[in-house]
Parts: sequence; structure tokens; C-alpha cells
Amino acid sequence: MSGVVLYAVLIAFGFFTGGAAGLLGVGGGIMMVPFLTLVAGVSQHEAQATSLLVVLPTAVVASITLHRKGVGDLPLALRFGAVGAVGGIAGALLALALPGHALRLVFALLLAVVAVRLVRDGLATE
Amino acid sequence: MAERSPSSVAVPAPPPAPAPEAPRGHLDRRLAGIGAAGGVLSGLLGVGGGIVMVPLLVLRAGYRQRDAHAMSLGAIIPISLASVVTYGVAGEVRVGYAAALAIGSVVGARVGAGLLARIKERPLKIVFGLFLGAVAVLLVFK
Repeated sequence: MSGVVLYAVLIAFGFFTGGAAGLLGVGGGIMMVPFLTLVAGVSQHEAQATSLLVVLPTAVVASITLHRKGVGDLPLALRFGAVGAVGGIAGALLALALPGHALRLVFALLLAVVAVRLVRDGLATE
Repeated sequence: MAERSPSSVAVPAPPPAPAPEAPRGHLDRRLAGIGAAGGVLSGLLGVGGGIVMVPLLVLRAGYRQRDAHAMSLGAIIPISLASVVTYGVAGEVRVGYAAALAIGSVVGARVGAGLLARIKERPLKIVFGLFLGAVAVLLVFK
């Protein structure tokens, strides 16, 4: 893909990801990392690093928007997120010591169970 | 998740009625645990912590879906900041690509967050559940 087209596609995909992230309460890395490796052709490591740099401003803008609308509790979220930041560094170090594939599979099964439960809850909610 | 004993699963979330729109304002062990779980799994698997924190905030901390999404986004700020610094030190970031994605993403985030503030609880739970299911499939076949 040529430079200008690629950048236009990146901006458009960013808009899509940002919208999904703001609605779903996630960073959007799960969508951006595969996109960057498959479409932009960057390495897995570069994709993760690049995606994280996008996640940060996305979360900041979404959080400010929601804070203004009185949804959630931003100061509290920042505080338990700070605990998470320490956990993130520990997790990254742990990742180097564990077999990634097995871990990914267990995590996927866990997500599938939670997904079923949330959809069931949602269907039961008035 | 991993850091909690099975017995604490049975501890009832705060009664559904008072907890929802006005989240308790202090950092208790449960929230710290959710933050830590989100951070560790984020670092471990390279996924956003939100995928872990949103379900935990709903199923374990008793937040309504909408508030859980907002809290997760707030918590992602320090988590991603720590990760960006870690990766940045390693020199892996493609700044040009990140800038292009971010231009679209911050505009999209305003739209998505605006929708989150209005959407009803039921469709939000279903949409998030479907998203989580899709991610699970993606992780298995990746």
C-alpha cells in the first residue's frame, strides 16, 4: 500500500477503533495489533508498542468525555489503574518466562465463558 | 480472577440497587485486585487491560455495565502509560503510524464515549459480550 493511502486507511481505522474503544471501555489494542501486522506490515512487537501509544490518547479523550457526562468515577479509576500499571510491568516480565501459546488458550477459554455469561445477563436485563 | 480465592466469588456484590450510578469512592482491595489483574494480563498477553477489567468490574465489583466501561477506560490511562514507556525505551514504536491512528482514534473515542453515555444497559451488555466472544475466537486461532 502506498504511503498516502496507507495513512488515510490508518486514520479511518483509527476512527473505527476509537469509537469501539469508547463504547466498549477497552483500549482497542486487540483490534489495532492484528491490523498493524496484517495491513501495515509491521512486526508483532512494533505493532503492540505502536498500538499502546494510540490507546493512551484514546483512553484520555474517552475518559474526559465520560467524566464530563458524569459516568463512572475517574479519580478512583486512575488510582486502581496505577496499581494495574505496576501489575503490567510484572506481567510483561512474567510473559518472558512462560509459554505464550498455552497461556493464550486458557485466557481465550476464560473470555468465552465470561462472554456467554454477559450475553445471558444482557438478554435477562429489562 | 487469579489473585482471588474461589470463596470470594461467593461474596455478593454490593446490592444492585444502591451501588450502580454512584460508585463507592475509595480504592478497596477488590478494585486494587481488578487493576492488578488487568495490568498483569495486559503485560502478559499484550492485550488491553479493559477486556479483563470490564467483566471483573461488572461481575465482581457490582458496577453497572456503563460505569464499568468508564472506569476501565480511566484505569487504562496509567496502565498504557507504563507500557508505552517500557516499549518506548526499547525503541519499538512506529511514531508515524501511531500518529495517524491516534488522529482517527481520538475523534472516534468522543463518538463512542458519547454513545456509551446514552446507550441502554441491555444492548450494551450484549454488544460487549459479543465483542468478548469474538476476541476469544481470535485468540484461539491467532
